[in-house]
Amino acid sequence: MFFKCGEKTSPISVILVTSGSRGNKLLFRYPFQQVSDCTSSLTTKQRSPYALNTTGDVLEDPDGDSRFSDIILATILATKSDMCGKKFELKIDNVRFVGHPTLLQHPHTIQVSKTDPSPKREMPTMILFSVVFALRANADPSVISCMHNLSRRIAIALQHEERRCQYLTREAKLMLAVQDEVTNMTESDPQSPFRQILPKCKLARDLKEAYDSLCTTGVVRLHINNWLEVSFCLPHKIHRVGGNHVPPEALERSLKAIRPYHALLLLDSEKALLAQLPLDCSPALVRLIKTCSAVKNLQQLAQDADLNLLQIFQIAAHLVYWGKAIIVYPLCENNVYMLSPHANISLYSPLAEAFGQQFPGHDLPSMLAKFSLPLSLSEFRNPLDASVQEAQLIQMVVWMLQRRLLIQLHTYVCLLVPPSEEESGLLRDEELPLVARVGGRSLSTPSALSFGSPSIFTQLMIWWRICFSLISLPLV
Amino acid sequence: MKKVPEEYISRELFDTVQVYIITKPELQNKLITVTAMGKKLIGCPVCIEHKKYSRNALLFNLGLVCDARTKTCALEPIVKKLSGYLTTLELESGFISNEESKQKLLPIMSTLLEELNATGACTLPIDESNTINLKLIEQRRDPLIVQEYDVPVFTQCKDHFIKSQWDLTTQQILAYIDGFRHIQKISAEADVELNLVRIAVQNLLYYGVVTLVSIFQYSNVYCTTPTVQSLIDDRSIQEECLNYVTKKGQKRACLRDVFQLYCGLTPGTTVRDLCSRYSQQLQRVDERRLIQYGLMKALIRRLQKYPVKVTRDERSRPPRLYTGCHSYDEICCKTGMSYKELDERLENDPNIIVCWK
Repeated sequence: MFFKCGEKTSPISVILVTSGSRGNKLLFRYPFQQVSDCTSSLTTKQRSPYALNTTGDVLEDPDGDSRFSDIILATILATKSDMCGKKFELKIDNVRFVGHPTLLQHPHTIQVSKTDPSPKREMPTMILFSVVFALRANADPSVISCMHNLSRRIAIALQHEERRCQYLTREAKLMLAVQDEVTNMTESDPQSPFRQILPKCKLARDLKEAYDSLCTTGVVRLHINNWLEVSFCLPHKIHRVGGNHVPPEALERSLKAIRPYHALLLLDSEKALLAQLPLDCSPALVRLIKTCSAVKNLQQLAQDADLNLLQIFQIAAHLVYWGKAIIVYPLCENNVYMLSPHANISLYSPLAEAFGQQFPGHDLPSMLAKFSLPLSLSEFRNPLDASVQEAQLIQMVVWMLQRRLLIQLHTYVCLLVPPSEEESGLLRDEELPLVARVGGRSLSTPSALSFGSPSIFTQLMIWWRICFSLISLPLV
Repeated sequence: MKKVPEEYISRELFDTVQVYIITKPELQNKLITVTAMGKKLIGCPVCIEHKKYSRNALLFNLGLVCDARTKTCALEPIVKKLSGYLTTLELESGFISNEESKQKLLPIMSTLLEELNATGACTLPIDESNTINLKLIEQRRDPLIVQEYDVPVFTQCKDHFIKSQWDLTTQQILAYIDGFRHIQKISAEADVELNLVRIAVQNLLYYGVVTLVSIFQYSNVYCTTPTVQSLIDDRSIQEECLNYVTKKGQKRACLRDVFQLYCGLTPGTTVRDLCSRYSQQLQRVDERRLIQYGLMKALIRRLQKYPVKVTRDERSRPPRLYTGCHSYDEICCKTGMSYKELDERLENDPNIIVCWK
């Protein structure tokens, strides 16, 4: 499913800036500016530097940062070195920039290299760089934090590769060379220089891929310099219920609430999931994926996979966070399921189509209608059906659970003492009981206790009169 | 540069962020918020060019400095407004460039700081003819779209709100908001156009004056939500609920009965069924207000019926309303049918199944 860039959780653009001995430079930017905006930014350069800039009102483009030219972005995003190593956040009108400026080398070492007469030191040195994401100003603060996190992860990888083999300097040189080349050929139609950079620079392609992934699936996996892996997921894109994203605090709370009596339900097939794992992943993870099942609770899974419970919790939480699995109660006959209030029951939804393909001869709305009233699995299955059909019915339930179409109902027991006739009826805190005349009284007349709240002794005596109120509450 | 209070911004902080305060021409007249060294600075740089200034232009920026963790959205309109005012003052009377009137800036800034922090509003007298009024407006979330089948209900007692403060449309419909009339009915009875009523109610929704519930009918089905537990846990909700649902003139209902009633609402149980099963508990409880309170506080939720046409001939038109996207409430409002009529029509159609959710 493709989310258009108008979405609040998608970035507007990704920008790479550096600051060095050659000044501040914007190396790469994606998506590219439109050609028409390119020409307008060229004309503004020729205007008097003191002229009041009123173009902001005319080209009202609430959807983008295309009003900002490359030069101005380079100035404002490549910060001073004392802002490095910390979160960088800048908001201009309705665009918010977030990044993590990273120092490559201490500014003092630049002077040392200048005094070195050896010809190798002619290459301009880079002091700091920053991968900046432009977001909509009204983006959720948790989205901003997540983008900052990604910017920081990419920065760590780039810093490492720079120290090891000057990767960033080499890529920067390539990018600047292409930019110079393009600006020198202004006779031909003004193509964005960044478009030419893409086929030549791996880093540019990585940044483009990060941007595209953030706008669509929310899962980013890059290999910086074909060597270091940077992986990241945006929970707001992955965990969505009823059209809204699950707030990160709710996600954290639910991950902490995993218990041994829960079960893990994978959202992809076992084979597909194993194929997505990196080569150096933990063998415990592989074992868990191979042994988990929707009918087994986590305690049993721990025994079967030969891992301790804490490890199981950690791996399960990890899979849930990345949107690869969900926590359910182990499937059994007595489980009661009902249609979720957020379920999409439209005839034309993509889910209906997928269901029709997976289970030919059945349609999703009819199945969902059966769960309009809470239904237990044993009621759903018809014992007279062939076992093959029974198995298929269970598969359908699993399919619907995976797509959050069904919720499970649980029974909770609440103890409520019936009040005596004199009392107003509220559950009172136990105050010091006044004298309660007890002896010789029949158990069925609590109304004879006419002073304050019943003492504990008399409460024990009327224990058998307490009624249970049974309530069904849906699972949160 | 003038600072109030003097020590709040250090020299280093200013050096780091000065590129965002006195900016290049491209960034002028834009609201800029920068976070650095534990502080957040909100400003709007202005440039006025005129031959009379040295360097032919005057650049200035009046900004606010807060702690980095503060939410500053409410302050942005104030900064923008101030920069507009100062620009006008400068153009009219040279307020900022004039050495004498420049001295007034410092006390003005002090007053601004004190009063905004204290009350969230401030009045700044500049000179005999000019005064600036500023107020912090709380930012609220966008309200939902109000549909014709929604029912507005006051969150507090009606008399709590001063009628004369509202616009004419709202005043006209206020009398008809009773927690049972839906938007379409209010529009018909108050003789106000439907869309105007929707907008007026959406406005009331934005300020938290009303909340929306669904139409009440004895054939409605409800079920509990996890929030119903708060009726047991939270003493204030208990009090509020029991006061709200007790029948007028009766002794206050007891919690056990009310809780049993809410728990008696399950999928498949209509309100009519509830009344016949729990008639003893309903002696002191008004069932309409019980449902109303439950919906307002999200203790219960309504289960709506959605018809879906699953099979049809190739030749017939694709279903317009029976797609699973439109509830009975919506269909009845749009087509003018009653619930019963719609039910009869659909029950006899073998191609249509009904989902409750």
